Amino acid sequence: MDANLPIDEHLWLRLIEGDEVAFTQLFQRHYSTLVSYGKSFIKDTDRVQDCIQDVFVDIWLYRCSLNHSVSVKAYLFSSVRKRIARFYTRDHIFRHTTSLNDVEFSITFTVEDRLIANEETAVRIYQLNRQINSLPPRQKEALFLKYHQGLNTEQIAEILNINYQSANNLLHRALVQLRRELKGNVSLLLLLFSELV
Amino acid sequence: MQQRNQYQSVENFLNDESFRKWVLEGQGNHEWEEWALENTQRAKLVEEAREWLLALHLPNETISLVDVQLALQHTWNKIRAIEDTSGKAKTHFRPLFWWRVTASVLLVSTLLGVIYRMQSDTLPEPQQKTHSMAEQTSALVEKKNITGHPLLIMLADGSSVLLQPNSTLRYPPVFEEKERKVYLSGDGFFEISKDSEKPFFVYANELVTKVVGTSFRIKAFSDQKNVEVVVRTGKVNVSAGNSDQEGLLLLPNQGVRLARQSLVFEKIEDLTKEKNHSQELSNIERLSFEFTDVPVSQIFKTIEQAYLVKIDFPAEKLANCYLTTSLSDQPLSEKLKIICESLGGRTTYAINENKITIHSSGCN
Repeated sequence: MDANLPIDEHLWLRLIEGDEVAFTQLFQRHYSTLVSYGKSFIKDTDRVQDCIQDVFVDIWLYRCSLNHSVSVKAYLFSSVRKRIARFYTRDHIFRHTTSLNDVEFSITFTVEDRLIANEETAVRIYQLNRQINSLPPRQKEALFLKYHQGLNTEQIAEILNINYQSANNLLHRALVQLRRELKGNVSLLLLLFSELV
Repeated sequence: MQQRNQYQSVENFLNDESFRKWVLEGQGNHEWEEWALENTQRAKLVEEAREWLLALHLPNETISLVDVQLALQHTWNKIRAIEDTSGKAKTHFRPLFWWRVTASVLLVSTLLGVIYRMQSDTLPEPQQKTHSMAEQTSALVEKKNITGHPLLIMLADGSSVLLQPNSTLRYPPVFEEKERKVYLSGDGFFEISKDSEKPFFVYANELVTKVVGTSFRIKAFSDQKNVEVVVRTGKVNVSAGNSDQEGLLLLPNQGVRLARQSLVFEKIEDLTKEKNHSQELSNIERLSFEFTDVPVSQIFKTIEQAYLVKIDFPAEKLANCYLTTSLSDQPLSEKLKIICESLGGRTTYAINENKITIHSSGCN
């Protein structure tokens, strides 16, 4: 086995060979994160936990047919997303989706305000935060996967079930869009400020 | 690190792990601050990227370790359930050792005993149950009595077990949802808390005793020919090994002898006729817990003798307290609870190993 493999990929190989401890460790390493991810689609914690546990059950039962070299994190996120999407559509909650895999990512980014130095910066940051939160769900999800889960564009593409270029566009669009809006709004704000002073 | 000199856009910074760490965690390797201030253009970009990160925050909602463990256990349960049904089991599969005997009769009775001796080499581990045993063995507590006197064990549901010398009890610190299961090797006197939703099972060699709430004694030594079940009061189902047959009903003054080798049941109609029996009664089986106008100090004494515990209580405050109560067939925790409630006056008890402390302001 390759000694240079990151931990997850190591455990993955051992899991495929039937190592229960490896399974347990992977579970412990990722469960909490996956639940947070799942909850950005469905608020019902119990359902989310059920879905994720079912994902792990299948991973164990069908371990023989698992691909040896995967990005474990991307695989887990992808599986959870698919399972929740399936469950979601079955529940008929989401009426205006056309595709089976279309669940809406709804998370609210917050502001890390303890690190803000002054009032002026705060205004900008809160504005930016509002803009980010009003981005289309797919773009928000891409941002989340990239900046909170440390996944690369290729992995994000796999999870969102789109091609590499589309994933790249999603990320790019989010940032460009926001910067444009921000510039506009900031000038407006500066204008307002100057009026007040 | 030199790549950052090439950074043109906010995106580049956002993608930089080290930059993110510096902004969010203040981990100041690579001197980001100094580097940023080297020129104004760069400073602006850094500031913008920094603001981005601050606006893209998420609350840290992690699940507690305990909950993760529970989820893990739940997951393994699901796996085992699927593996069991699809794999080896037929519809009426029973391991060779066991055949189920079901019956239950609720009868209040005087001391009964039917002694059966069974032979067995190991602790009960029927084929079918290996998975749940395997799951649980890491979670089971094992108490072996290596002293020369009975050892009191309190279970999570309030039941008490008096484990005789040279005996071992294996039990979970917390019981499962649907059943309460313990494993006995040797001799133990059980007083089980009533819970009709959760039947209590004692696995002792080839015998499975199912109870809902009762007191009884089981003797199942590995080197003996028979398994003993002594029923004191209450409801007892005796199951033996692996079979589809109906179980044997134990009535007061009756008993079942299970010869381990042949797995043959023999019913004993009258326990009082059993010669060896009375000599082997432990204190708890001999003592009476029916009290009529008895000073509470005496009740405590009886409990001390029965359970081999030491009870510390405010003697002067309780000097003139007399109780009329029936404490038979109650696990120790219940007995103490009843006494405390009867005394009133905010009386409480605390158990620590084999020492019981009573706090009370009197019975007036």
